[in-house]
Order: sequence, then C-alpha cells, then structure tokens
Amino acid sequence: MRHAYAGRTAICGIGATEFSKRSGRSELRLALEACVAALDDAGVDASRVNGFSTFTMETNPENELMRLLGISELTHFSRVHFGGGAPCATVQMAAMAVNEGVADYVLCYRAFNERSGHRFGTGVQGRAPVATAEEAQYAWTSPFGLLTPASWVAMFARRIMHEHGVVSEDFGRVAVADRRHAATNPAAHFYGKPITLEEHQASRFIVEPLHLLDCCQETDGAQALLVTSLERARDLRQKPVVIEAAAQGMADQQQMMRSYFRESLTGLPEMGTCARQIWETSGLSVDDVRTAIFYDHFTPFVLPQIEEFGFCGRGEARHFIADGNIELGGRLPINTHGGQLGEAYLHGMNGIAEGVRQVRGTSVNQVEGAEHVLVTSGTGVPTSALMLGTDP
Amino acid sequence: MSTVSPERRDDAGGFGGYVGTSGTPVTARHPVNEAMIAHWCDAMGDANPSYTDAVFAASSVHGGIVAPPAMLDVWDRGGLVVNRQGASPRTKVMEALFAQGLDSIVAVNTELEFPRYLRLGETVSSLEVLSDVSPLKRTARGPGHFVTTRHRYTNQLGEHVGDLMFRILIFRPEAREESMQAAAEREPDPDPALRPAPAINEDNRFFWEGAERHQLRIQQCGRCDRLLAPPGPRCPACGSFEMSWIVSSGRGRLYSFAVPHHPKVAGFSYPLTVGLVELEEGTRIVADLVGIDPHADIRIGMPLELCWLEGGALPLPQFRAPAPVRAFETVHLDELSAGDALPVCSVPITTTLVVAGAIATRDFTPVHHDRDVAEREGSRDVFLNINTSVGLVERVVSDWAGPEAVFRSIRLRLGAPGFPGDLLTFSGQVAAVEGEKGTATISLKARDSLGDHAVATVELSLPATAGMSRS
Repeated sequence: MRHAYAGRTAICGIGATEFSKRSGRSELRLALEACVAALDDAGVDASRVNGFSTFTMETNPENELMRLLGISELTHFSRVHFGGGAPCATVQMAAMAVNEGVADYVLCYRAFNERSGHRFGTGVQGRAPVATAEEAQYAWTSPFGLLTPASWVAMFARRIMHEHGVVSEDFGRVAVADRRHAATNPAAHFYGKPITLEEHQASRFIVEPLHLLDCCQETDGAQALLVTSLERARDLRQKPVVIEAAAQGMADQQQMMRSYFRESLTGLPEMGTCARQIWETSGLSVDDVRTAIFYDHFTPFVLPQIEEFGFCGRGEARHFIADGNIELGGRLPINTHGGQLGEAYLHGMNGIAEGVRQVRGTSVNQVEGAEHVLVTSGTGVPTSALMLGTDP
Repeated sequence: MSTVSPERRDDAGGFGGYVGTSGTPVTARHPVNEAMIAHWCDAMGDANPSYTDAVFAASSVHGGIVAPPAMLDVWDRGGLVVNRQGASPRTKVMEALFAQGLDSIVAVNTELEFPRYLRLGETVSSLEVLSDVSPLKRTARGPGHFVTTRHRYTNQLGEHVGDLMFRILIFRPEAREESMQAAAEREPDPDPALRPAPAINEDNRFFWEGAERHQLRIQQCGRCDRLLAPPGPRCPACGSFEMSWIVSSGRGRLYSFAVPHHPKVAGFSYPLTVGLVELEEGTRIVADLVGIDPHADIRIGMPLELCWLEGGALPLPQFRAPAPVRAFETVHLDELSAGDALPVCSVPITTTLVVAGAIATRDFTPVHHDRDVAEREGSRDVFLNINTSVGLVERVVSDWAGPEAVFRSIRLRLGAPGFPGDLLTFSGQVAAVEGEKGTATISLKARDSLGDHAVATVELSLPATAGMSRS
C-alpha cells in the first residue's frame, strides 16, 4: 500500500548547532538555534510554522519553542516514543499532518546536552522502580546488571557472532567506515581523525563483545528539519528533498532494545516492517539506492539493517562489509557524514540532515547519482525509516 | 635423596641439617576399610561403584573393592585425639619456625602417585623424608619457607603402594596495605543489596514471590497452558486473563551472554557475566552467571543450573555450571584427542563439605572444622583442606572418565582458599593421549570467586578401544 503523503511532501530546510561535548548553553537555546537555522536554510519565516514534531524523550516543550520563535499559534504537535526509534517518524508525522492540511510547515527537532548533561550511556542505573508497565520490563534486566544500551545490544551482538560467524573485526569495519567519512566532514567531532581496524581492536571493552569504538559518541547539540508540501517547497530557497516513503515499525515480541524473548536475535524484524513499507511506498528497489544512512548507536546492528533492507542476504552482511561496499567508492557508502560514531550522536536526526544533503548534492562526501537516499532510525527499539529523493 | 648446598643450608635458616633425613615409619591405626571409604565417598560426592559396590567391583578392572586412590595419604593419619606417632623432621622444622614467629601453615602442593590401588584389609605404613626447606621467600601471604616432604607408602607386606610429594608454606601472615593506586581503582561496593530493585506490580509479583521461596516461576495461561515470558496480564494466544504459573526445573542452556565492564555500578562485581538462558521449559530469562570464566569456559549452548543470589532485597536467580555428570561407561583412549574439553561443572562449597571433607580425610586441623578457631586465626571462615580439593578433583575426573578409569597420579597446586558460600567451578581438557602407555593426561582447574583454587594434572589409564571395555 502506498502512503498518501509520499511523493507529495518534502524536507525544505535543515539546521543544526555545532556538535560538541559541552555546549555551554541550555537545551532550549540549542533547540531554538537549530530551528532558526532550518528556517533560514529554507528561507521561511517562523510565523509560517504551525506544527512541531519531536521525540517523547525531548525535554524542550513545543509551547516554549512556539513562544520564543514568535509563533502565534500551532495546529499540530505530535511526539514519537521509543528514543532513537523516533527521528524518521517525526518526519512522517510532519508529512502526514502537511498532506492532510492540518499544518503547513512543521519543524521536526531534537536538542540535548547529552554529554555535558544527562548521559544516555550511563543507562538506567539509579532509576526508581516505578511499577508502570514500561518500567516493570526493566525488572527482567536491571537487577542482573544489564543497565546500559551497550549492555542490551551486546547480548544480540554475541548471538549474531555465534550464528553468522561474525567476528569483532566485522563490527570494527563499520566503525572504520564511519570514522573515514567523518574525517573529511568539518562538522564532525572526529573530523581529521580516522581510525584503523587495529585501533578498533585495541580499544577497551565497554560491554563485551563491544569495544569502545563500537559505541557512538555522546554529544551536545541540536538538529532541526522543516517539512512542508512538495508544492510549497518548490518555491523556496533550496531544491526540495522529496519524502518518497516513510515508515514506522514494531514487530515480533518487541521490547525496548531487550527483545530477548523472540525466537531469533539475529534480525531486526521491526526494521523489516519498515523496509517492506519503504519499498512498497517508494516503488524503488535496492538497485535504485546508492547511499544510505544506517542508525549506528552501536556497530553490530548495522549488519542486520543491511540484511533487512535486502542489500544482501541473511547472515551475509559481514561479507558485504568486508568487500568494501559500505565505504566511499563502494556499492553502498553508508553514513557519509560519519554517522553517530564519527559526526555526532543527535538521536539520528543528523543522519536525516545528511540524507537531505546527499539528495541536494551538497554532502562533503557526495555520492554520485544519489537520487534516492535511505535513512533509518534506532535499532533494537520500535523504529522508523525514510526514503528521500530528488524532485522528479 | 636430595642434595643440599651449603648456601641453601644457610638460607634455610639453619634447617639444612634436617634436609634429607627421615622420620620414623608410621603405621595406620586401621586397615583399609569400607567405613572410611564410604565416609570419604559421601563427603566428596564420589559415586564410583569400584569403591562401594562389591558386585560391580568384582567384575571391574580392579577385581574387587578398592580404596579411592586420593585416600592414599589418609590411612596413616592420627585422629582427633591420637596424634601421629614417631619423629618427623618436618615437625622439628615447624616447631623451630613457630618459635621464630612464622606460625601459620598452608598446604601448597600435593603430588600423589599410585602404582596400584589399595584393597580392603591392607595396612598402610609411610616413611617421611624432608626433601627441602626453601630460603625465606616473600609470598602473597607474607614471608615464609616452603617445606617439602616425600612420603613412601607400603603395605603390611612391605609392598610399595604409593608416593606423595607434599609442600607446605610456613609463614608469618602479613596484612598488605592497599596502595594509593589500588584505592583509586577500587570498584564500587559489590553488596547485592545495592543492586537496582525490580519494579514490582500486579503483573510480575508472582515471579518475585516465587524468588523469595527460591522458586523460578514461569507464567502460564490458566486456560490454554501456554507459557509467557516476559509475563503479562493476558494470554496473547487464547485471550484469557486467568494467568497462573509453573515452577521451572532450573535447568537450561546458555543462549547468549554479555560481559559489562563500564560503567561499573554498585551492587555488582566486575567483570560481570550476564547470561540469556533458555530454560528447558522453553522460555528465556536474563540472569547472572556465576563461576563461569567468560574468557575461557563459556560456550553458547552449555548446560546451566539455577542457584540464587542472596543478600539483596529479594533473592535473584543466577545460573552456574551444573553438577558433575557421572558417566556409566568408561571413556576409551581412541575417543580422546589432546585439547578435548571436559564439560564445565560446579560444586558448591558448603560448611558441610568443608567439615565432612576434612574429617573424611582425617585432617583435624581446627581451621577446617571449627569456625571460632578459624576466625581467631584471622580467616574469614573455615576453609577446604587440600585433601578435599584432591578428592573433588578425583571425583570430577572420575565422573567424566567413567568407573574403570584408573588413576596413575594426581598433582595439585593449591591457590585461593575455598570458603563456605562460594562455588568451585571445574574446567579442564585432555592435555595428552599416550596410546602406547595406555594413558591420558587431564589438566583441570577449579576456580572460585577468589581466583584459581586448584590447578591439577591427572594421569589416567584407560581402555584403548571399545572392545577392551568391561562387557
């Protein structure tokens, strides 16, 4: 089934703050700066914005952004749950609102001091045992010492290694590709700092089998995206980036990064749900896609994403990666901005911005013929994905 | 007979004169008998029928009941009241070192060789030779001398039945001060009471009420009997809200595992090994693994058994390697290759094991049975004596190799003490197979929470092929 907003809506502006380890500014100010930058990029006045879409984890409320951007009223404000699974879905919410005529311009945003303030890497230690259905699920892992995203992912990674013959170096090649791409991106935290596979292997263990260099950064910063109709976008400052497809996915005994009770731990069925919708809605196939932004909070889950979208067969991602396909010049260069390991951890929102730049043809690591760019959201969680493309 | 250089005599603190001298022969108070064998087998959990089952033993390679070979150095020992008779050069060295303030003893090595097994009714005699007193050495426990003796065992007819090399450390305990760096790197308090508490509500309370009773409960639909993990208030299969539970057998296999290092959180000991365990009922559960070295012994698919972590707000399920599994058929040499792993297994250290093991091996040193004395002497509790460690090694190897594996030697180095409440996890491998000699060498390690408790090498005689086994 084809989604109605697909092909009729577009991202018309992107804006971000610098990516740092200590912004020295409030999270609200970061959000405002990114929104202003996105509006400037599009050439749209704030007064025309009447919608917001963000994460349930976002700390900056829509009313404060509305007030301080000088917006007089909003007709749409929606939030998406499940942490890093949200970013592509915020764009989908915005596109649906625009296509329905509920809003004209919707700002999708995410802002945090995730390094100098609350660090996600510290996990859920010290969290009060509140007996909600959501918190009660942590009873099956927290008392046993699985307290961080890295620890939750490690359990999957070990099983992927066991079943598919994957070794740590296969995960390391993802980090090497990300860092190679970040090295030529001046906006990246690791600009000019590529790594070798040997450095990956030598980095300390965080949660075995994950090395430090398998884990994304922690970042202070903000990213905003402006969504409107394709028709309006055509009259704006930038070449429109068409939302060719968007999808959310939740599947098969889904838990928050701890879906340990499903039959197989080697795939990402929720991403499979997204992939099916993305291909159906866009009418595209893997042959049409020359570059992709795969969510990379931890390297192991990049492998099953490649498989879920069908760029290679089940269990074959390690060969696909080892053959050099994911680096610049390869079949499918991924995370050309450096990903969340190399550029910044902005909960996936910075990856969507890179997808926009690839379609516009303005990436620092531009892939030739990038007419359709796949972007994914968080892995191991209920998630989402986007296909962005050129205006035909 | 060892030769001793003059320098070493001086290093040995004047004890060089005793080196090479023998004590007076000691004769066992009782002949090899079924009662002591039975006590020993009970204490060690060794169910090899060659020691206790006359019918089996008669048709076995032994042709009749034999004593467990690890009991070789038990028969000639004194009792609780009757001390060992006769002169012993080692005793003289010990007394002199005690007078110098080196007043603590710990066994460090034992090497037993068995030319043949002892039979019921034989009376064992032994002769001790002091073979070495080391120079004063700095050890992890404090300064001390290693004192080595050799013991030759004969029966009432003078037939040679065994040899023992035994080494003890006589030392002055030294409390080591924590360095500044060690203090800085000290890990957070591992007290399980500090672990994150589970959020308990109406939907998962049955699980935690089970944990209080050491029951691992799995939710089961009251209507269609389907199991549900993690639990919830409605059966997704049949739609019933009548949810019940069953108690798991506690047996399962390792499905996956993670080893968290950072960040370190109070309530846990790092590195921590967290397992995803597939229970034999079919559901999975996350729980810590105890005693299993995540860098050596762990295997996805390995069998595990439930145990409980106490000390927190609620008992928490944990999993350990299962108890040794006894083979009823003896393994053949042609089935073995160097490098073959023995199944990882575990034996909980209980006060009963420590005391029963000490008494069954006639070791009445108070630190092995009297907690008051142990604490007064600076130990946190009673602890395993070396003969029990040897006995457990023999049992684990015998359980794996089968009832007619014949022990030729057991060599064991003792390390970290074994205190009640801890767990001994045994892992080992076939180190060598020597077809011409008809023997296999097994290397075995027993770890507890303090480190390597014992490292052992065992030589076995085994039937060459299936055709040579007992019918």
